[in-house]
Amino acid sequence: MSEVAFLQLIGLSVVGLGIAVLLFIKARFARVVGFVAIVLGLFSITALSVPQMASLPPVEEKFDVANIKTASDMAAIGQKIFFSKGQCALCHSIGPSESARCPDLKGIGAKLTREFMYESLTQPQAYIYLDFRHESQPKEYPARMPYINKNPIGLSKNEILSVIAFLQQMSGEPITVSPSEITQASDTPPAQAKPAQTAAVVPIHASGLN
Amino acid sequence: MGNHGDIRPTLIEQYRRRAAQVTGVAVAIGLLALPALGLAQDAPTSAATAYRDIPQLGGSRNLIWVIAQLHLLLAGFVLGVPIFAWLCEIVGWKTGEKRYDKLAKEFTKLLTSSYATTALFGGILLFMLIGFYPKLMAYLSDIFFPSFVVYCGLFLIETATLYLYWYGWDAMQGTKKPLHLFLGFLLNVFAFFIMIVPNSWATFQASPVVIAEGSDFARAWAATWNPTWWPVNIHRLIANVVLGGYICGAYAGIRYLSAQTAEERDHYDWMGYVGNFIGVFGLLPLPFAGYWLMREIYQYNQQMGITLMGGFLSWLFILQAMLIGVLFLGSNYYFWLGITHRIPGSEIKYRKPIMTMLVILLLCLGVWMTPHSLVASLEEARKMGGTHHPLLGVFGVMSAKMTVANLMILVTFMSFIMYWRAGKEETAGWAKVAKALMSAVLVIAGIVVIVLGVWGYFVPAIIRINYFSVAQVLIVLFVMLTITPLTALLLRSARTTTEMVWGRMPPRAGYALVLNAVMVILLMTLMGYARSSSRVHWHIYGVMRDSSQYAFSPALGYAAAFMSLNTFLFCMLVAFIFWVATMGDKAKGKDPIEEKKQVPVGAYPAMAGGSQTLDKKH
Repeated sequence: MSEVAFLQLIGLSVVGLGIAVLLFIKARFARVVGFVAIVLGLFSITALSVPQMASLPPVEEKFDVANIKTASDMAAIGQKIFFSKGQCALCHSIGPSESARCPDLKGIGAKLTREFMYESLTQPQAYIYLDFRHESQPKEYPARMPYINKNPIGLSKNEILSVIAFLQQMSGEPITVSPSEITQASDTPPAQAKPAQTAAVVPIHASGLN
Repeated sequence: MGNHGDIRPTLIEQYRRRAAQVTGVAVAIGLLALPALGLAQDAPTSAATAYRDIPQLGGSRNLIWVIAQLHLLLAGFVLGVPIFAWLCEIVGWKTGEKRYDKLAKEFTKLLTSSYATTALFGGILLFMLIGFYPKLMAYLSDIFFPSFVVYCGLFLIETATLYLYWYGWDAMQGTKKPLHLFLGFLLNVFAFFIMIVPNSWATFQASPVVIAEGSDFARAWAATWNPTWWPVNIHRLIANVVLGGYICGAYAGIRYLSAQTAEERDHYDWMGYVGNFIGVFGLLPLPFAGYWLMREIYQYNQQMGITLMGGFLSWLFILQAMLIGVLFLGSNYYFWLGITHRIPGSEIKYRKPIMTMLVILLLCLGVWMTPHSLVASLEEARKMGGTHHPLLGVFGVMSAKMTVANLMILVTFMSFIMYWRAGKEETAGWAKVAKALMSAVLVIAGIVVIVLGVWGYFVPAIIRINYFSVAQVLIVLFVMLTITPLTALLLRSARTTTEMVWGRMPPRAGYALVLNAVMVILLMTLMGYARSSSRVHWHIYGVMRDSSQYAFSPALGYAAAFMSLNTFLFCMLVAFIFWVATMGDKAKGKDPIEEKKQVPVGAYPAMAGGSQTLDKKH
């Protein structure tokens, strides 16, 4: 029996018990307890009937440099990162999508240089829009994109290069990131805050509720 | 010889005694030193210990979950009841109605026992946290130590004030009443600070900020002043009032159901009304505070906002909508029962408006509960052209939900106004104009809220969030702030056509009050899970990763089972506290409603919708 089925069974039993109390017991307090049991049982059953999604911690992609022979190997790792640790697919789609909150990345590797992509990932506010809809000076309209190399996502340089390799490959472009860069790059993880010294979270402004 | 023979055993005895003493001292020192030895041995190990676990008892996280939730709910109750009691005491003092003072005293009596229980669970929680999460607690202690000291100080002052407030109740009557009220005020002020200090620790975990170098106090202050601190403070403050009110209502509901005499029925019917009134009073602004909190979360970190609203927690908000919807329905239902049962002859008069309000509430609830993405099979999804239903998908977005939430608040407010005005006839010359004005304000507000909601689909999210949603909230607040004083003025000169009759509510009214309280408690447990899960696999978001085996957030079904368990345990605890606290009264054989007879005849009804009938009867 699955965990959900087991919990549903418990929920149903609690509801049944509550109904039995209301039917056969006269004591007022017991009847109120029975009523509360019915309410709580129904709530649990309802919660068990919606999609059950647990949030698992992302597996930290380990770079085994020895296994990276070609640029395609890098792109394969980049694809994994794109859909897992990088959390890119949470906002971006590859191809048209109704639910995507941010630009469609299909063909992005053909439109942008690798340097620009790297900068967009690590310095999302480098090229910001100006909001001219107000009088006086135009306001900065900060990008909604988080800093990918900082926590909570915190991709390392190697991981970012792999994601770029994936974006280029997915766009049908030649991969300009070479495995030699991976070998040479010092893969330093994002800085963990020392107690009471720093907190690496960078607040993201201008967002959308949807 | 004989002497020698006598002395030697004595010396031997002395040596033995000394040896025993020395041995005893050595053993004692050894025993006392054991922990030190243990600590010394463990020192290198304990420095590296990040987690401890008790898998036999269901795992450390589940234990923490239950204890922390019970502590939090009890704390909400302990902080909510003084607000509730103090408000009742003020009403009693201003109007001269003793029953409000009596009610306030009855609930303050609960504080002493519930205060101790809350502290007990707080202590257990602290020991568990130190034991199970030493690394995290060391980190937090390093930052927040100054606020720990402040927290202890606040507890001392709060306890002293509570003792003075409770034990000085009878001594500080008459001319000393203002002093007692001032103590009540202080009690609430200290309680507020007791709430916001630990809020800073919890909110720092969700929205940590950069902590610059500086003094210990400066660092603690920087961490305290994090982006979600004040939104959580305000949200919890209002929620505590709601919790206090609805629990009072549930208590009255249970006592009403088991009432033996007409007087008891009258009294507990009235008490249920007061509890529901205060619960609704807090409930109306609560969604605004929740919206502000959510907005701050989005502004702080969009990733976290998406995890909550669009990620794996998105279905949680459907459950939240269901619970809030039931709460709104339950509160309105109780008002409607009050109108139709307490005011003879009003069943037919108010049937149509009640039905209209019921339909609006149900429609709004339906929209609020519509998910953005439907659970559909592959075939169904193909037919729909995706997981978004072509028609219902429109209701799944924030613009629709904000609109219906505001409409539900408006309807509930009107329900209350209707109850307030029931059985009275306005005699003021300007009554017609005022009533027309109020109707116009209400209708225009409703239309504008809907227009803004529909318009919200066609503008960028940022415009909708920053302007439209805020405008909707302000419009609803404007309606409340306009119609409430106007109604109060209108009713000042009104003639009572039908007196309210207390104690005639059907038993289902008592169950409705219990249902409302359960909904509020469930909501608190649900949103506690949401707040905690929004940090996903981080103890401190983005700073300290949870590397334990419990780094995952469980699915909603599993979590709901825990929420139900915690709600049930909390209800039983509160019932126990009520039972213990009222045991003395029962033993004395003193009728708790006896003093109500002292209410001066003809006293003006203190709370909106109150009645003079009760007073006149005595």
